[in-house]
Amino acid sequence: MSAVLPAKAEPIDWAGKNYLVVDDFIGVRQLLRESLRSLGARNIDQAASGGEAMGLLAKIRYDVVLCDFNLGDGKNGQQVLEEARVRNLLLPSSVWMMVSAEKSVESVMGAAEHQPDAYLVKPITEGVLLTRLNRAWHRKQVFRPIDQAYADKDYLRAARLCDEQIEASKVHEVELLRMKARLMEKSGEPEKAREAYERVLAQREYQWARAGLAKIRLANGEFEQARQMFQGVIAENRYYIDAYDQLALAWQGMGKLEEACSILERAAKLSPNSVQRQRNLGQVCLKLGNVGMAEKAFRKCIAVGEYSVRRTPDAYLGLARVCGLKNEPKEALAWLQAAQREFGGSNGDLHPDIDLRAKITEGLVYHESGDYRRARKAGDELEALLGVRAERPDTATCLEMATLLFAVGVKEAPSELLCYLIRNNHDNALLLDEVQAIFDKARLTDEGGDLIRSSKKEAADLMNQGVLLWKTGKLKEAVDWMREARARLPNNQRILFNAAQVLVSHMRERGYDEALALEAHEVLAHVDRLQPGQQRFAQLMAQLAELAPKPETPAPAVDTSA
Amino acid sequence: MDDSAPSQDLLLFLASTAHDMKNSISVLSGTLERLLVDASPRGEASYPQMAQMLYQTRRLNDNLMQLLALYKRVGTPEYPFDVQPIETAQLLDQVVALGQVLLDAKGIALEVDAAPDLIWHLDEDLIVGVVSHAVNNAVHYTRDRIRLSLREQDGLLEIAVEDNGAGYPQALLDAGAAGLSGVASGIDFRTNSAGLGLYFSREVARMHRHRGREGSVRLENGGALGGGCFILSLP
Repeated sequence: MSAVLPAKAEPIDWAGKNYLVVDDFIGVRQLLRESLRSLGARNIDQAASGGEAMGLLAKIRYDVVLCDFNLGDGKNGQQVLEEARVRNLLLPSSVWMMVSAEKSVESVMGAAEHQPDAYLVKPITEGVLLTRLNRAWHRKQVFRPIDQAYADKDYLRAARLCDEQIEASKVHEVELLRMKARLMEKSGEPEKAREAYERVLAQREYQWARAGLAKIRLANGEFEQARQMFQGVIAENRYYIDAYDQLALAWQGMGKLEEACSILERAAKLSPNSVQRQRNLGQVCLKLGNVGMAEKAFRKCIAVGEYSVRRTPDAYLGLARVCGLKNEPKEALAWLQAAQREFGGSNGDLHPDIDLRAKITEGLVYHESGDYRRARKAGDELEALLGVRAERPDTATCLEMATLLFAVGVKEAPSELLCYLIRNNHDNALLLDEVQAIFDKARLTDEGGDLIRSSKKEAADLMNQGVLLWKTGKLKEAVDWMREARARLPNNQRILFNAAQVLVSHMRERGYDEALALEAHEVLAHVDRLQPGQQRFAQLMAQLAELAPKPETPAPAVDTSA
Repeated sequence: MDDSAPSQDLLLFLASTAHDMKNSISVLSGTLERLLVDASPRGEASYPQMAQMLYQTRRLNDNLMQLLALYKRVGTPEYPFDVQPIETAQLLDQVVALGQVLLDAKGIALEVDAAPDLIWHLDEDLIVGVVSHAVNNAVHYTRDRIRLSLREQDGLLEIAVEDNGAGYPQALLDAGAAGLSGVASGIDFRTNSAGLGLYFSREVARMHRHRGREGSVRLENGGALGGGCFILSLP
């Protein structure tokens, strides 16, 4: 059979690779194994369920995985893929082929973060399998240097590599432009991302490119324009689910929660098995006071997350709020305990603040139901929890916590929390207003104003002294000073960026130093976690990469012409 | 969704039954292909019957695929339509590979004539399905030759499947012409067993739109081999 296929320029040795076939139907497994054998494959493992597949993936690094989407009870194919990627069980060169009986919505909706390398629709025949395997392999070659730069978070270099590859491989042009747009968004260069999307649209009306343009508008706060564009995408293709989720964000940006809720509801009907979508729906419903629908969404969120690495405590906390609003505090507490059992303890790495968040919700539930004595008790316990740890949770959680603590009558802990937020975000005007509003509500307008001013000044002084040392050429002192500033204000983005800038300057003037480079990378990785997609991040990462000693041979553009 | 719509459970049940059937047919046609490859035309008396079984299995599979896709109403757009840039040479590779065993078993020669280095934006699974179905049809109509060709013509991608048989029956040609001129569906499903395939092909072609043009399907008699001629055009 293979004799009739035109010979490829670079034949790939499919015989020596390791294969995993995952399907709950033994007949299909045998058929796929036979097809692989006729390509010469010798090492073929089989799994009949998602759990069995995970067991094998944890032990063996496969070159090719053929995985059915529907695997009966337990994990489905997409969940197996997500977990394998998150747990780093796949080689960068691994090819993942998702198999299904028919084209699924999920395959084209454009939102899934973890896409397989190809989708195959049954029946799978040898010719189609070989064509798609070869294509996925060549594609991997084209994208390998880009993916590497991406993994190194050197987004500007990755984007440059995209431009080079576009010249070399016409068939991948559209996908390379998509990648470039994504990289430019991550580099805080929306104008260049827009250019890339426009280049795609000049060829064909691809919905993801149109949606990309709309997302840039959305990020820029142009909610009405974004809304119109997302609705246009949905009118063209009602299965492009990502546009629904984004449209809901646009409505939320305009303060139209009813509209956001109804669009999320439609999206959840079309594609119900998304943890994040059900969570977002639940949270919007909660804000609207639609307790019944919130409960339904949060319960669904927990059900679809059962086998997923993306399961989230938010649904448990949301259900506790729902129970509180239904005046069922006992049930609320049961959900909070469940959240800590599921996400705390040995699973606590991913959710270090789960105890705080559960306690905040507990206080909120009692406060809303008018049980002020128990609410105060929760507040005191929260203060005690804060006392025994140095780290503070993310901004949203801190604000929520301060609000609750003031409401139940605790004074000192919330003031300290808010000062911490100001020190670490001293140039964020919106946040400053938000914090002042919380002080106002607690009848601490003047006292709060003083605290805000002094916290702001403390951060500004620390930074200005560092800048002065840097500008007067005292690089060693500037590095030391910024190190000290970072220790005192570990989450201040301006200080973090300046610290990295000073380290880069030091190496530029006085030579490359591995320890300093490592320190700069750590600082930048931290600031990218706090707020991804900043221009200064991408620029500093590129400057750092330029300072590093060059590898022997730069990766050449890959020619995949068949 | 209104109350008269089938319940979610029923839809799930129907979908999983359809998936089951597809699994069974995949295994059946895969096994038959393997048996045919291993068997020799002269050595075994059952060889022609096996070839006929494979042909019928393919028809079953095509019909099931078309039913599944149409049930979701292709083109309205309820089927998740998935356009990507595809090297057209690879498109034909897949069609050829899908038909090879059946063609060999039936003693039919296949000529492929494809413009090189062409990239087109299309839904690969649907187009491979449509062209393979046309090749299967041609197996039924041809004497002993089928020609599969692909070229760019006036900004359209044109894929033709031609044979050297007696040509399409008049009813089917009329149905094709009616479909082109936009008169109803042009197909009487009660009297025309090939109607579903043609209807499906036309719906798939129409989903492909670009700058105000849409895809089309036409049937002719004559062509390069003097028999039936199925031509798919995509913008």
